[in-house]
Amino acid sequence: MDQYFKTVYAIVWKDFVTELKTRELFSSMFIFATLVILIFIFSINLSVVDAREVGPGILWAAFIFSGTLGLNRSFMLEKENDCLQGLMLTPADRTAIFFGKMLSNFVFLTIMEIFILPLFMVFFNIDLLPHLGPLLLVVFLGTVGFCVLGTLLSSLSAHLKNREVMLPLLLYPLLVPVVIGSVRMTGQILAGKELGDMSQWIGLILCFDIIFTGAAIMTIDHILEE
Amino acid sequence: MDETSQPPSPDVAVKAVGLRKSFGWLEALRGVSFELKKGEFLAVFGPNGAGKTTLLKILSTLTRPTAGSAWVAGYDATKGDAELRKEIGVISHASSIYGDLTAFENMVFYARMYGVRDPETRAVEVVDEVGLKARLHDRAATFSRGMLQRLTIARAVIHNPSVLFLDEPYTGLDQHAAKSLTEQLAFLHTEKRALILTTHDIDRGLDTCDKAAIQVAGKFVRMDSIDEIDRKNFENLYLKTVRENS
Ligand SMILES: Nc1ncnc2c1ncn2[C@@H]1O[C@H](COP(=O)(O)OP(=O)(O)OP(=O)(O)O)[C@@H](O)[C@H]1O
Ligand SMILES: [Mg+2]
Repeated sequence: MDQYFKTVYAIVWKDFVTELKTRELFSSMFIFATLVILIFIFSINLSVVDAREVGPGILWAAFIFSGTLGLNRSFMLEKENDCLQGLMLTPADRTAIFFGKMLSNFVFLTIMEIFILPLFMVFFNIDLLPHLGPLLLVVFLGTVGFCVLGTLLSSLSAHLKNREVMLPLLLYPLLVPVVIGSVRMTGQILAGKELGDMSQWIGLILCFDIIFTGAAIMTIDHILEE
Repeated sequence: MDETSQPPSPDVAVKAVGLRKSFGWLEALRGVSFELKKGEFLAVFGPNGAGKTTLLKILSTLTRPTAGSAWVAGYDATKGDAELRKEIGVISHASSIYGDLTAFENMVFYARMYGVRDPETRAVEVVDEVGLKARLHDRAATFSRGMLQRLTIARAVIHNPSVLFLDEPYTGLDQHAAKSLTEQLAFLHTEKRALILTTHDIDRGLDTCDKAAIQVAGKFVRMDSIDEIDRKNFENLYLKTVRENS
Protein backbone atom coordinates (compact mmCIF):
# COMPACT_ATOMS: atom_id res chain seq x y z
CA MET A 1 0.00 0.00 0.00
CA ASP A 2 2.86 2.28 0.87
CA GLN A 3 4.41 1.70 -2.55
CA TYR A 4 1.03 2.43 -4.14
CA PHE A 5 0.93 5.96 -2.74
CA LYS A 6 4.60 6.43 -3.53
CA THR A 7 3.82 5.66 -7.17
CA VAL A 8 0.94 8.12 -7.28
CA TYR A 9 3.17 10.70 -5.63
CA ALA A 10 6.04 10.03 -8.03
CA ILE A 11 3.82 10.67 -11.06
CA VAL A 12 2.29 13.83 -9.63
CA TRP A 13 5.73 15.06 -8.57
CA LYS A 14 7.12 14.45 -12.06
CA ASP A 15 4.25 16.31 -13.73
CA PHE A 16 4.64 19.22 -11.33
CA VAL A 17 8.38 19.53 -11.82
CA THR A 18 7.83 19.47 -15.59
CA GLU A 19 5.09 22.08 -15.39
CA LEU A 20 7.09 24.36 -13.09
CA LYS A 21 9.84 24.39 -15.69
CA THR A 22 7.82 24.73 -18.86
CA ARG A 23 4.57 26.38 -17.67
CA GLU A 24 3.17 25.16 -20.98
CA LEU A 25 0.17 23.37 -19.62
CA PHE A 26 -1.12 26.18 -17.45
CA SER A 27 -0.49 28.97 -19.92
CA SER A 28 -2.07 27.17 -22.87
CA MET A 29 -5.13 26.12 -20.87
CA PHE A 30 -5.57 29.53 -19.32
CA ILE A 31 -5.23 31.44 -22.58
CA PHE A 32 -7.57 29.07 -24.35
CA ALA A 33 -10.25 29.31 -21.66
CA THR A 34 -9.97 33.10 -21.66
CA LEU A 35 -10.39 33.15 -25.43
CA VAL A 36 -13.48 30.97 -25.29
CA ILE A 37 -15.07 33.32 -22.78
CA LEU A 38 -14.06 36.40 -24.80
CA ILE A 39 -15.52 35.00 -28.02
CA PHE A 40 -18.83 34.47 -26.29
CA ILE A 41 -18.70 37.92 -24.69
CA PHE A 42 -18.27 39.52 -28.11
CA SER A 43 -20.97 37.42 -29.72
CA ILE A 44 -23.71 37.87 -27.14
CA ASN A 45 -25.40 41.11 -26.34
CA LEU A 46 -25.40 41.07 -22.56
CA SER A 47 -27.87 43.95 -22.37
CA VAL A 48 -30.46 41.69 -24.01
CA VAL A 49 -29.72 38.28 -22.47
CA ASP A 50 -29.34 37.66 -18.80
CA ALA A 51 -25.72 36.90 -17.93
CA ARG A 52 -26.84 34.47 -15.24
CA GLU A 53 -28.73 32.45 -17.87
CA VAL A 54 -25.93 32.05 -20.40
CA GLY A 55 -22.90 32.44 -18.11
CA PRO A 56 -22.78 28.92 -16.61
CA GLY A 57 -22.84 27.21 -20.01
CA ILE A 58 -20.08 29.44 -21.31
CA LEU A 59 -18.02 28.92 -18.18
CA TRP A 60 -18.22 25.14 -18.49
CA ALA A 61 -17.56 25.24 -22.22
CA ALA A 62 -14.37 27.13 -21.44
CA PHE A 63 -13.40 24.63 -18.71
CA ILE A 64 -14.03 21.60 -20.87
CA PHE A 65 -12.37 22.83 -24.05
CA SER A 66 -9.27 23.99 -22.26
CA GLY A 67 -9.35 20.86 -20.12
CA THR A 68 -9.22 18.75 -23.28
CA LEU A 69 -6.19 20.72 -24.35
CA GLY A 70 -4.63 19.91 -20.98
CA LEU A 71 -5.41 16.20 -21.29
CA ASN A 72 -3.79 16.06 -24.69
CA ARG A 73 -0.69 17.88 -23.55
CA SER A 74 -0.44 15.79 -20.38
CA PHE A 75 -0.55 12.62 -22.41
CA MET A 76 1.91 13.95 -24.97
CA LEU A 77 4.47 14.05 -22.17
CA GLU A 78 4.12 10.31 -21.78
CA LYS A 79 4.19 9.60 -25.51
CA GLU A 80 7.34 11.60 -26.17
CA ASN A 81 10.34 9.24 -26.18
CA ASP A 82 7.74 6.55 -25.46
CA CYS A 83 7.88 7.22 -21.73
CA LEU A 84 4.64 5.29 -21.44
CA GLN A 85 6.58 2.13 -22.26
CA GLY A 86 9.06 3.02 -19.53
CA LEU A 87 6.16 3.35 -17.10
CA MET A 88 4.71 0.01 -18.19
CA LEU A 89 8.05 -1.66 -17.55
CA THR A 90 8.09 -0.59 -13.92
CA PRO A 91 6.47 -2.89 -11.37
CA ALA A 92 4.17 -0.03 -10.36
CA ASP A 93 0.48 -0.82 -10.11
CA ARG A 94 -1.32 0.33 -13.28
CA THR A 95 -4.16 1.87 -11.31
CA ALA A 96 -1.61 3.87 -9.32
CA ILE A 97 -0.19 5.19 -12.59
CA PHE A 98 -3.72 6.07 -13.66
CA PHE A 99 -4.53 7.85 -10.40
CA GLY A 100 -1.25 9.72 -10.53
CA LYS A 101 -2.02 11.04 -14.01
CA MET A 102 -5.59 11.78 -13.05
CA LEU A 103 -4.58 13.62 -9.93
CA SER A 104 -2.09 15.84 -11.71
CA ASN A 105 -4.63 16.56 -14.46
CA PHE A 106 -7.13 17.44 -11.76
CA VAL A 107 -4.81 19.79 -9.92
CA PHE A 108 -3.71 21.63 -13.08
CA LEU A 109 -7.28 21.99 -14.27
CA THR A 110 -8.46 23.22 -10.88
CA ILE A 111 -5.71 25.82 -10.71
CA MET A 112 -6.68 27.05 -14.17
CA GLU A 113 -10.34 27.21 -13.13
CA ILE A 114 -9.52 29.20 -10.04
CA PHE A 115 -7.80 31.76 -12.24
CA ILE A 116 -10.69 31.81 -14.72
CA LEU A 117 -13.44 32.42 -12.15
CA PRO A 118 -12.44 36.05 -11.38
CA LEU A 119 -12.22 36.78 -15.12
CA PHE A 120 -15.66 35.31 -15.59
CA MET A 121 -16.91 37.47 -12.73
CA VAL A 122 -15.56 40.62 -14.37
CA PHE A 123 -16.64 39.87 -17.94
CA PHE A 124 -20.16 38.81 -17.05
CA ASN A 125 -20.51 41.26 -14.22
CA ILE A 126 -21.78 38.57 -11.85
CA ASP A 127 -20.79 38.71 -8.21
CA LEU A 128 -19.62 35.17 -7.42
CA LEU A 129 -18.37 35.89 -3.92
CA PRO A 130 -21.66 35.27 -2.04
CA HIS A 131 -21.96 31.88 -3.80
CA LEU A 132 -18.32 30.92 -3.64
CA GLY A 133 -18.65 27.86 -1.36
CA PRO A 134 -21.34 25.99 -3.33
CA LEU A 135 -19.81 27.08 -6.61
CA LEU A 136 -16.41 25.64 -5.71
CA LEU A 137 -18.08 22.38 -4.71
CA VAL A 138 -19.78 22.14 -8.10
CA VAL A 139 -16.55 23.01 -9.90
CA PHE A 140 -14.82 20.32 -7.85
CA LEU A 141 -17.38 17.60 -8.65
CA GLY A 142 -17.52 18.46 -12.33
CA THR A 143 -13.75 18.61 -12.66
CA VAL A 144 -13.31 15.23 -10.96
CA GLY A 145 -15.78 13.73 -13.44
CA PHE A 146 -14.01 15.33 -16.37
CA CYS A 147 -10.58 14.18 -15.19
CA VAL A 148 -11.58 10.59 -14.39
CA LEU A 149 -13.20 10.05 -17.77
CA GLY A 150 -10.69 12.21 -19.61
CA THR A 151 -7.66 10.38 -18.21
CA LEU A 152 -9.27 7.01 -18.87
CA LEU A 153 -10.07 7.88 -22.47
CA SER A 154 -6.70 9.44 -23.16
CA SER A 155 -5.11 6.16 -22.04
CA LEU A 156 -7.55 4.32 -24.26
CA SER A 157 -6.71 6.46 -27.28
CA ALA A 158 -2.97 6.45 -26.51
CA HIS A 159 -2.11 4.06 -29.32
CA LEU A 160 -4.44 5.61 -31.90
CA LYS A 161 -2.84 7.61 -34.64
CA ASN A 162 -5.21 10.57 -34.62
CA ARG A 163 -5.78 10.73 -30.92
CA GLU A 164 -6.21 14.52 -30.78
CA VAL A 165 -9.43 14.02 -32.74
CA MET A 166 -10.45 10.74 -31.15
CA LEU A 167 -10.21 11.96 -27.58
CA PRO A 168 -12.93 14.65 -27.78
CA LEU A 169 -15.00 12.39 -30.02
CA LEU A 170 -15.08 9.71 -27.32
CA LEU A 171 -15.05 12.05 -24.36
CA TYR A 172 -17.77 14.62 -25.06
CA PRO A 173 -20.74 12.31 -25.61
CA LEU A 174 -19.95 10.38 -22.43
CA LEU A 175 -19.41 13.59 -20.54
CA VAL A 176 -22.95 14.86 -21.19
CA PRO A 177 -24.34 14.03 -17.71
CA VAL A 178 -21.50 15.88 -16.00
CA VAL A 179 -21.82 18.88 -18.28
CA ILE A 180 -25.58 19.19 -17.90
CA GLY A 181 -25.39 18.65 -14.15
CA SER A 182 -22.61 21.15 -13.66
CA VAL A 183 -24.17 23.81 -15.87
CA ARG A 184 -27.57 23.43 -14.26
CA MET A 185 -26.16 23.57 -10.76
CA THR A 186 -23.96 26.55 -11.54
CA GLY A 187 -27.03 28.35 -12.94
CA GLN A 188 -29.12 27.57 -9.89
CA ILE A 189 -26.35 28.63 -7.54
CA LEU A 190 -26.03 31.96 -9.35
CA ALA A 191 -29.81 32.32 -9.09
CA GLY A 192 -29.38 32.12 -5.34
CA LYS A 193 -30.67 28.59 -4.72
CA GLU A 194 -29.37 26.43 -1.89
CA LEU A 195 -27.24 23.34 -2.53
CA GLY A 196 -29.87 21.28 -0.73
CA ASP A 197 -32.30 21.92 -3.61
CA MET A 198 -29.96 20.29 -6.10
CA SER A 199 -29.35 16.96 -4.46
CA GLN A 200 -30.37 15.03 -7.61
CA TRP A 201 -27.76 16.79 -9.69
CA ILE A 202 -25.10 16.29 -7.04
CA GLY A 203 -26.11 12.64 -6.83
CA LEU A 204 -25.91 12.30 -10.61
CA ILE A 205 -22.39 13.70 -10.82
CA LEU A 206 -21.23 11.73 -7.79
CA CYS A 207 -22.55 8.53 -9.35
CA PHE A 208 -20.79 9.41 -12.59
CA ASP A 209 -17.50 10.00 -10.76
CA ILE A 210 -17.79 6.74 -8.85
CA ILE A 211 -18.87 4.63 -11.84
CA PHE A 212 -16.04 5.82 -14.06
CA THR A 213 -13.46 5.53 -11.29
CA GLY A 214 -14.63 1.95 -10.88
CA ALA A 215 -14.53 1.39 -14.63
CA ALA A 216 -11.00 2.79 -14.75
CA ILE A 217 -9.78 0.52 -11.95
CA MET A 218 -11.24 -2.51 -13.66
CA THR A 219 -10.08 -1.80 -17.21
CA ILE A 220 -6.84 0.15 -16.98
CA ASP A 221 -4.68 -2.99 -16.99
CA HIS A 222 -6.07 -4.02 -20.36
CA ILE A 223 -6.20 -0.51 -21.74
CA LEU A 224 -2.55 0.23 -21.10
CA GLU A 225 -1.41 -3.07 -22.53
CA GLU A 226 -0.42 -2.89 -26.16
CA MET B 1 0.29 -29.02 -18.40
CA ASP B 2 3.29 -30.58 -20.09
CA GLU B 3 6.77 -30.67 -18.66
CA THR B 4 8.11 -27.84 -20.78
CA SER B 5 5.77 -25.31 -19.22
CA GLN B 6 7.08 -25.95 -15.71
CA PRO B 7 9.17 -23.22 -14.09
CA PRO B 8 12.85 -23.76 -14.85
CA SER B 9 15.53 -24.43 -12.25
CA PRO B 10 16.82 -21.42 -10.28
CA ASP B 11 20.05 -21.02 -12.26
CA VAL B 12 18.07 -20.38 -15.44
CA ALA B 13 17.50 -16.68 -16.04
CA VAL B 14 15.42 -16.84 -19.20
CA LYS B 15 13.60 -19.77 -20.71
CA ALA B 16 11.34 -19.70 -23.74
CA VAL B 17 9.38 -22.69 -24.98
CA GLY B 18 7.65 -22.59 -28.35
CA LEU B 19 6.92 -18.88 -28.25
CA ARG B 20 4.57 -17.76 -31.00
CA LYS B 21 3.13 -14.37 -31.76
CA SER B 22 0.76 -13.45 -34.56
CA PHE B 23 -0.41 -10.03 -35.59
CA GLY B 24 -3.51 -10.95 -37.55
CA TRP B 25 -2.33 -13.17 -40.39
CA LEU B 26 1.28 -12.21 -39.88
CA GLU B 27 3.33 -14.60 -37.78
CA ALA B 28 6.11 -12.58 -36.16
CA LEU B 29 7.29 -15.47 -33.95
CA ARG B 30 6.93 -19.06 -35.05
CA GLY B 31 8.12 -21.11 -32.11
CA VAL B 32 11.15 -19.68 -30.35
CA SER B 33 12.71 -21.91 -27.71
CA PHE B 34 15.92 -21.35 -25.81
CA GLU B 35 17.39 -21.23 -22.36
CA LEU B 36 19.79 -18.75 -20.84
CA LYS B 37 21.56 -19.23 -17.53
CA LYS B 38 22.41 -16.58 -14.97
CA GLY B 39 25.52 -14.68 -15.92
CA GLU B 40 25.19 -15.50 -19.63
CA PHE B 41 25.11 -12.93 -22.39
CA LEU B 42 23.15 -13.82 -25.50
CA ALA B 43 23.43 -11.84 -28.72
CA VAL B 44 20.57 -12.29 -31.17
CA PHE B 45 21.30 -11.50 -34.80
CA GLY B 46 18.66 -11.42 -37.48
CA PRO B 47 17.41 -9.48 -40.48
CA ASN B 48 14.74 -6.79 -40.26
CA GLY B 49 11.38 -8.24 -39.39
CA ALA B 50 12.80 -11.46 -37.94
CA GLY B 51 10.86 -10.85 -34.74
CA LYS B 52 13.70 -9.85 -32.42
CA THR B 53 11.87 -6.87 -30.97
CA THR B 54 8.70 -8.91 -30.62
CA LEU B 55 10.61 -11.57 -28.68
CA LEU B 56 12.06 -9.02 -26.26
CA LYS B 57 8.65 -7.40 -25.84
CA ILE B 58 7.15 -10.71 -24.80
CA LEU B 59 10.00 -11.47 -22.39
CA SER B 60 9.65 -8.01 -20.83
CA THR B 61 5.85 -8.44 -20.42
CA LEU B 62 4.97 -5.64 -22.83
CA THR B 63 3.00 -8.02 -25.05
CA ARG B 64 1.63 -11.48 -24.54
CA PRO B 65 2.52 -14.37 -26.82
CA THR B 66 -0.17 -16.07 -28.88
CA ALA B 67 1.17 -19.44 -27.73
CA GLY B 68 4.09 -20.90 -25.84
CA SER B 69 5.54 -20.13 -22.47
CA ALA B 70 8.33 -17.93 -21.18
CA TRP B 71 10.05 -17.68 -17.83
CA VAL B 72 12.19 -14.78 -16.74
CA ALA B 73 14.01 -14.76 -13.41
CA GLY B 74 11.73 -17.56 -12.26
CA TYR B 75 8.48 -15.75 -13.10
CA ASP B 76 6.00 -16.52 -15.82
CA ALA B 77 6.38 -13.79 -18.44
CA THR B 78 3.05 -14.55 -20.05
CA LYS B 79 1.26 -13.47 -16.89
CA GLY B 80 3.00 -10.11 -16.88
CA ASP B 81 3.20 -9.71 -13.15
CA ALA B 82 4.94 -6.98 -11.20
CA GLU B 83 7.46 -9.24 -9.47
CA LEU B 84 8.94 -10.10 -12.85
CA ARG B 85 9.24 -6.46 -13.82
CA LYS B 86 11.32 -5.80 -10.71
CA GLU B 87 13.88 -8.24 -12.07
CA ILE B 88 14.29 -6.87 -15.58
CA GLY B 89 15.78 -3.81 -17.22
CA VAL B 90 14.94 -2.91 -20.81
CA ILE B 91 16.77 -0.71 -23.27
CA SER B 92 14.87 -0.28 -26.52
CA HIS B 93 14.55 2.23 -29.35
CA ALA B 94 12.56 4.37 -26.98
CA SER B 95 14.62 6.12 -24.35
CA SER B 96 11.61 6.62 -22.03
CA ILE B 97 13.40 9.68 -20.69
CA TYR B 98 11.46 12.88 -20.01
CA GLY B 99 13.13 15.64 -21.99
CA ASP B 100 11.96 18.46 -19.73
CA LEU B 101 13.41 16.86 -16.62
CA THR B 102 17.09 16.77 -15.71
CA ALA B 103 19.07 13.54 -15.65
CA PHE B 104 18.79 13.57 -11.87
CA GLU B 105 15.03 14.15 -11.83
CA ASN B 106 14.48 11.40 -14.40
CA MET B 107 16.42 8.92 -12.30
CA VAL B 108 14.71 9.95 -9.06
CA PHE B 109 11.37 9.45 -10.76
CA TYR B 110 12.17 5.97 -12.01
CA ALA B 111 13.80 4.99 -8.71
CA ARG B 112 10.54 5.89 -6.99
CA MET B 113 8.50 3.96 -9.53
CA TYR B 114 10.63 0.88 -8.83
CA GLY B 115 10.39 1.40 -5.09
CA VAL B 116 14.17 1.75 -4.79
CA ARG B 117 15.27 2.77 -1.31
CA ASP B 118 16.72 6.27 -1.05
CA PRO B 119 15.97 7.38 -4.64
CA GLU B 120 18.12 10.54 -4.55
CA THR B 121 21.32 8.73 -3.58
CA ARG B 122 20.69 5.94 -6.06
CA ALA B 123 19.99 8.49 -8.81
CA VAL B 124 23.35 10.20 -8.32
CA GLU B 125 25.10 6.85 -8.12
CA VAL B 126 23.63 5.44 -11.30
CA VAL B 127 24.21 8.64 -13.30
CA ASP B 128 27.81 8.54 -12.12
CA GLU B 129 28.14 4.91 -13.21
CA VAL B 130 27.23 5.79 -16.80
CA GLY B 131 29.64 8.72 -16.76
CA LEU B 132 27.17 11.57 -16.84
CA LYS B 133 27.88 13.07 -13.46
CA ALA B 134 28.92 16.40 -14.95
CA ARG B 135 25.51 16.68 -16.63
CA LEU B 136 23.50 15.56 -13.61
CA HIS B 137 21.40 18.71 -13.45
CA ASP B 138 21.01 19.39 -17.16
CA ARG B 139 17.73 18.85 -18.99
CA ALA B 140 17.74 15.52 -20.81
CA ALA B 141 16.45 17.22 -23.97
CA THR B 142 19.84 18.93 -24.31
CA PHE B 143 21.71 15.60 -24.36
CA SER B 144 23.37 14.13 -27.45
CA ARG B 145 22.24 10.74 -28.77
CA GLY B 146 25.07 8.94 -27.02
CA MET B 147 24.49 10.70 -23.71
CA LEU B 148 20.79 9.96 -23.90
CA GLN B 149 21.62 6.32 -24.55
CA ARG B 150 23.76 6.24 -21.42
CA LEU B 151 20.98 7.81 -19.41
CA THR B 152 18.65 5.15 -20.81
CA ILE B 153 21.04 2.50 -19.51
CA ALA B 154 21.01 4.20 -16.13
CA ARG B 155 17.21 4.13 -16.19
CA ALA B 156 17.19 0.45 -17.06
CA VAL B 157 19.55 -0.60 -14.25
CA ILE B 158 18.42 1.76 -11.52
CA HIS B 159 16.73 -1.09 -9.62
CA ASN B 160 19.67 -3.45 -10.18
CA PRO B 161 17.82 -5.97 -12.36
CA SER B 162 19.02 -9.55 -12.74
CA VAL B 163 18.09 -9.72 -16.43
CA LEU B 164 18.77 -7.02 -19.02
CA PHE B 165 17.20 -6.80 -22.48
CA LEU B 166 18.83 -4.55 -25.05
CA ASP B 167 17.12 -3.99 -28.38
CA GLU B 168 19.58 -2.61 -30.92
CA PRO B 169 21.35 -0.30 -28.51
CA TYR B 170 24.05 0.56 -31.06
CA THR B 171 21.65 2.28 -33.44
CA GLY B 172 22.57 5.91 -34.04
CA LEU B 173 25.75 5.88 -31.99
CA ASP B 174 29.06 7.15 -33.38
CA GLN B 175 32.29 5.11 -33.05
CA HIS B 176 33.19 6.66 -29.75
CA ALA B 177 29.75 6.26 -28.20
CA ALA B 178 29.52 2.69 -29.47
CA LYS B 179 32.85 1.85 -27.91
CA SER B 180 31.76 3.30 -24.63
CA LEU B 181 28.53 1.31 -24.85
CA THR B 182 30.56 -1.88 -25.29
CA GLU B 183 32.48 -0.98 -22.15
CA GLN B 184 29.24 -0.30 -20.30
CA LEU B 185 27.92 -3.70 -21.35
CA ALA B 186 31.05 -5.43 -20.09
CA PHE B 187 30.58 -3.58 -16.81
CA LEU B 188 26.94 -4.65 -16.59
CA HIS B 189 27.73 -8.25 -17.45
CA THR B 190 28.21 -9.69 -13.97
CA GLU B 191 27.87 -13.28 -12.74
CA LYS B 192 24.42 -12.71 -11.41
CA ARG B 193 23.02 -10.95 -14.42
CA ALA B 194 21.86 -12.39 -17.72
CA LEU B 195 21.72 -10.18 -20.81
CA ILE B 196 20.02 -10.50 -24.18
CA LEU B 197 21.14 -8.13 -26.89
CA THR B 198 19.73 -7.81 -30.39
CA THR B 199 21.85 -6.08 -32.97
CA HIS B 200 22.72 -5.86 -36.64
CA ASP B 201 26.31 -5.11 -35.74
CA ILE B 202 27.85 -8.58 -35.79
CA ASP B 203 31.35 -7.54 -34.68
CA ARG B 204 30.15 -5.56 -31.71
CA GLY B 205 27.69 -8.25 -30.74
CA LEU B 206 30.37 -10.95 -30.81
CA ASP B 207 32.73 -8.73 -28.80
CA THR B 208 30.48 -8.77 -25.79
CA CYS B 209 28.38 -11.92 -25.89
CA ASP B 210 29.10 -15.46 -24.81
CA LYS B 211 26.29 -17.04 -26.82
CA ALA B 212 25.06 -16.02 -30.23
CA ALA B 213 21.74 -16.86 -31.84
CA ILE B 214 20.58 -16.27 -35.38
CA GLN B 215 16.90 -15.52 -35.68
CA VAL B 216 15.24 -15.71 -39.08
CA ALA B 217 11.52 -15.45 -39.86
CA GLY B 218 10.38 -15.83 -36.28
CA LYS B 219 12.64 -18.73 -35.30
CA PHE B 220 16.03 -19.29 -33.73
CA VAL B 221 17.76 -21.23 -36.48
CA ARG B 222 20.94 -21.66 -34.52
CA MET B 223 22.46 -20.81 -31.19
CA ASP B 224 26.16 -21.31 -30.52
CA SER B 225 28.41 -20.55 -27.63
CA ILE B 226 31.19 -18.09 -28.41
CA ASP B 227 33.92 -20.77 -28.10
CA GLU B 228 32.37 -22.71 -30.96
CA ILE B 229 32.16 -19.70 -33.22
CA ASP B 230 34.71 -19.01 -35.87
CA ARG B 231 34.66 -15.23 -35.70
CA LYS B 232 36.24 -14.70 -39.10
CA ASN B 233 33.57 -16.66 -40.88
CA PHE B 234 30.60 -15.80 -38.73
CA GLU B 235 29.39 -13.05 -41.01
CA ASN B 236 29.38 -15.43 -43.97
CA LEU B 237 27.69 -18.07 -41.89
CA TYR B 238 25.10 -15.51 -40.85
CA LEU B 239 24.38 -14.41 -44.41
CA LYS B 240 24.14 -18.02 -45.55
CA THR B 241 21.83 -18.98 -42.71
CA VAL B 242 19.55 -16.04 -43.39
CA ARG B 243 19.41 -16.81 -47.10
CA GLU B 244 18.59 -20.47 -46.51
CA ASN B 245 15.85 -19.83 -44.00
CA SER B 246 13.95 -16.88 -45.36
N1 LIG C 1 2.32 -4.15 -33.27
C1 LIG C 1 2.45 -4.81 -34.42
N2 LIG C 1 1.40 -4.96 -35.26
C2 LIG C 1 1.52 -5.62 -36.41
N3 LIG C 1 2.65 -6.20 -36.83
C3 LIG C 1 3.73 -6.09 -36.06
C4 LIG C 1 3.69 -5.38 -34.81
N4 LIG C 1 4.93 -5.44 -34.27
C5 LIG C 1 5.70 -6.14 -35.13
N5 LIG C 1 4.99 -6.53 -36.20
C6 LIG C 1 5.49 -7.35 -37.32
O1 LIG C 1 6.17 -8.45 -36.79
C7 LIG C 1 7.33 -8.75 -37.54
C8 LIG C 1 8.53 -8.77 -36.63
O2 LIG C 1 8.79 -7.46 -36.19
P1 LIG C 1 9.95 -7.11 -35.18
O3 LIG C 1 9.88 -5.66 -34.92
O4 LIG C 1 9.88 -8.02 -34.01
O5 LIG C 1 11.24 -7.45 -36.04
P2 LIG C 1 12.74 -7.15 -35.71
O6 LIG C 1 13.48 -8.43 -35.84
O7 LIG C 1 12.86 -6.43 -34.42
O8 LIG C 1 13.15 -6.21 -36.91
P3 LIG C 1 14.18 -4.99 -36.94
O9 LIG C 1 15.53 -5.60 -37.15
O10 LIG C 1 13.75 -4.22 -38.14
O11 LIG C 1 14.05 -4.24 -35.68
C9 LIG C 1 7.41 -7.68 -38.62
O12 LIG C 1 6.93 -8.24 -39.83
C10 LIG C 1 6.50 -6.59 -38.14
O13 LIG C 1 5.89 -5.95 -39.23
MG1 LIG D 1 13.55 -4.54 -33.82
